[in-house]
Amino acid sequence: MAADPRTAVETVTVIVDGKEHKFPKGMNLLEACLSVGVKIPFFCYHPGLSSPAVCRQCLVEIKGAPKPVPSCYTAVADKMEVTTNSPRVLEIRRQMLEFTLLNHPIDCPVCDKAGECSLQRHYFDWDGKLARNEGDKVRKAKVVDVGKHIVLDQERCILCTRCIRVCNEVAKSPDLTIANRGSHSVLTTAPGQRLDNPYSLNTVDVCPVGALTAKDFRFARRAWELCATPSVCPGCATGCSIEIHASRGKIHRLVPRENPLVNKFWMCDEGRFTYKAVTENRVRLPSIDGKRATLPAALAEAARLLGEDLAGAPQRVGVVFSFQATNEDTHVLLRLALDGLKIERVYAGGRALGGSDTILVSADKNPNTTGVVRTVPPPLRTLKELTRDLATGALTTVLVLGNEALPVAAATPVTVIVLASNKGPLVAAANVVLPIAMWAEVDGSFANKDGLVQRLHAAVPCPGEALPGWEVLARLGGKLGVEMAYASASEVFAEAAGRHGFLKDAVWGDSSRPVQLRFGESRG
Amino acid sequence: MAVTVKVVARPAGIRGHTYLVAVAEGMWVTFRHLMKNFPGNVLGLRKKTDIATLSYPEEKQAYPARNRGLHRLMKRENGDVRCVACMMCPTVCPAHCITIVPEEAPDNAVEKRPRIFEIDELRCVVCGLCVEACPCDAIRMDTKVHAPPTLRRADAILDMEALLARGEPSIATQGGTGPFWREKV
Ligand code: SF4
Ligand code: SF4
Ligand code: SF4
Ligand code: SF4
Ligand code: FES
Repeated sequence: MAADPRTAVETVTVIVDGKEHKFPKGMNLLEACLSVGVKIPFFCYHPGLSSPAVCRQCLVEIKGAPKPVPSCYTAVADKMEVTTNSPRVLEIRRQMLEFTLLNHPIDCPVCDKAGECSLQRHYFDWDGKLARNEGDKVRKAKVVDVGKHIVLDQERCILCTRCIRVCNEVAKSPDLTIANRGSHSVLTTAPGQRLDNPYSLNTVDVCPVGALTAKDFRFARRAWELCATPSVCPGCATGCSIEIHASRGKIHRLVPRENPLVNKFWMCDEGRFTYKAVTENRVRLPSIDGKRATLPAALAEAARLLGEDLAGAPQRVGVVFSFQATNEDTHVLLRLALDGLKIERVYAGGRALGGSDTILVSADKNPNTTGVVRTVPPPLRTLKELTRDLATGALTTVLVLGNEALPVAAATPVTVIVLASNKGPLVAAANVVLPIAMWAEVDGSFANKDGLVQRLHAAVPCPGEALPGWEVLARLGGKLGVEMAYASASEVFAEAAGRHGFLKDAVWGDSSRPVQLRFGESRG
Repeated sequence: MAVTVKVVARPAGIRGHTYLVAVAEGMWVTFRHLMKNFPGNVLGLRKKTDIATLSYPEEKQAYPARNRGLHRLMKRENGDVRCVACMMCPTVCPAHCITIVPEEAPDNAVEKRPRIFEIDELRCVVCGLCVEACPCDAIRMDTKVHAPPTLRRADAILDMEALLARGEPSIATQGGTGPFWREKV
């Protein structure tokens, strides 16, 4: 990330193509030119990585310098005069592209990167000339299985070394290298290595061409068929900013979105597959005792069961919050169960702890633990206590949000009302199942482990009769005499922000509609 | 738009008022044509091919070379489908009538091929854009065959087998030969 010009202390004056601009001292010249709308093509530079200046695509003229210099490797200096559009620079730019394309297979029809490929874009913008080479191209290996998630096409590689730097600098696992010389240079895995580090798929994102492709996404969709929606990874408490890439109501991949506060430009491989839970094994329809029911009937049955037990033995009724639910769902459940129904036994849980590292991954595998803990007043009992209380009979009725993996035997005498999105033991054992939407289908917010509140945007429609959790809870409240009227998630958020301190400074932000990827600038 | 009425004055004189003269003039033109064509067409003194009207369906018009008929999928030399499932044709198709599901091809040099390729000929507007868009000379509309009538809508959807049945090996080189289109403009 370049320093923000507004907060920088010292600025320098640089003349770019005859126009004067002020930049913070020490800013990268390529970044500086791009920030004022001067277009310079580049391949090897990436704002999150070091600059080796190997591709020579970003050459510009600087007054006084004997030859053109790579702008990605030059810092702005006072009174610098830069030319990016002289005939000489344009010709160098075109020649560099011709050189890069010399042995390029031009596989675009079968190449997964086509449509978001930097080489395609720069060719159309700056070259557009016929190839002049007459001999055969140097052929290299295609479809090389380099790692668990990744396939390499050595012919398409333009040797920018971005992927090598991602492995070295981000994943801290030097798995890749360049072998051989000249036009026979190839990207390959280091001897005895596989590209299997936990951040390996970031190499696919940074690869400006289609040399590295993700097995999971391979041939699933062409890039231009996808629509991008900003969201937050639900894989762990770090809460990496992501983009959901979906097409015709189906998610096809998750890619990191730049966020200097959390994940910079990266995300872990595990997080990329969290979308599978959205597409697989979903609860689509409400049911009562395992039989399909309409939503009003299921809501009425849930209200009847809860109402009876609350009238009979209120101390034996419990409510379970979920560390995976959004702040909005959590707030409405708080209003319903604690404010409205005065339930005293309050539990909360989520996925079990897992592995962590010092790069991004947190041990807490739930995206909103902080939000739940700061919304619901203590004491919050754990899932372990819940299982014990269910076994001892201290509980006769529970209202559960999420937590579908909770091991509850189908024969337990306890009345279970669950708002579930995925199938699991809890859903199989439940008396009433109310389907709810998942993170990729709702507008909402998560608070990550540092308390940073981030927005989710609906990217795909809810499956079957599922509704956002807050909506189901508000309707259930209506049947139990706890009136809550919300027209949208933003109204819930506004109410929650007025009540819970950690949401006070958070902003709901604008709504975001899926944007079709047309040479998306964020990748490649 | 407002309706505007333009009043045209009736032609003056008896000739204009009765129209009889004009009717007679018209009849004379018709009669002239009849007399001109009678010996040729009716008495069979003229060649059949000189007559504009065809006795369809016994006689058929020869189609121009670039007529767009039913689609076909071209083949590689070994008989495999030439299409690489690049999705250009479904992207450009204004009728959204092409459905392609890609899969990994066993040959690494081919890499990608369609698992399912279907064209709904009922929806197709015969624009030919799919042929124009194809970078591989994989889809053509040069069969000169009309979409046949079907009893069920589903029968009008041609699958890969049906499309390949009319196919033949293409001699095109990928990327094409000849002058570059940009240099012509
Ligand atoms: S890397 Fe880019 S230019 Fe090369 S084949 Fe793929 S899409 Fe085409
Ligand atoms: S595989 Fe991609 S990122 Fe890696 S060196 Fe080649 S072009 Fe660059
Ligand atoms: S001819 Fe036009 S409408 Fe028919 S399949 Fe091709 S692109 Fe679609
Ligand atoms: S444009 Fe050609 S190669 Fe591409 S999917 Fe259509 S038929 Fe296949
Ligand atoms: S981007 Fe500057 S040399 Fe590659």
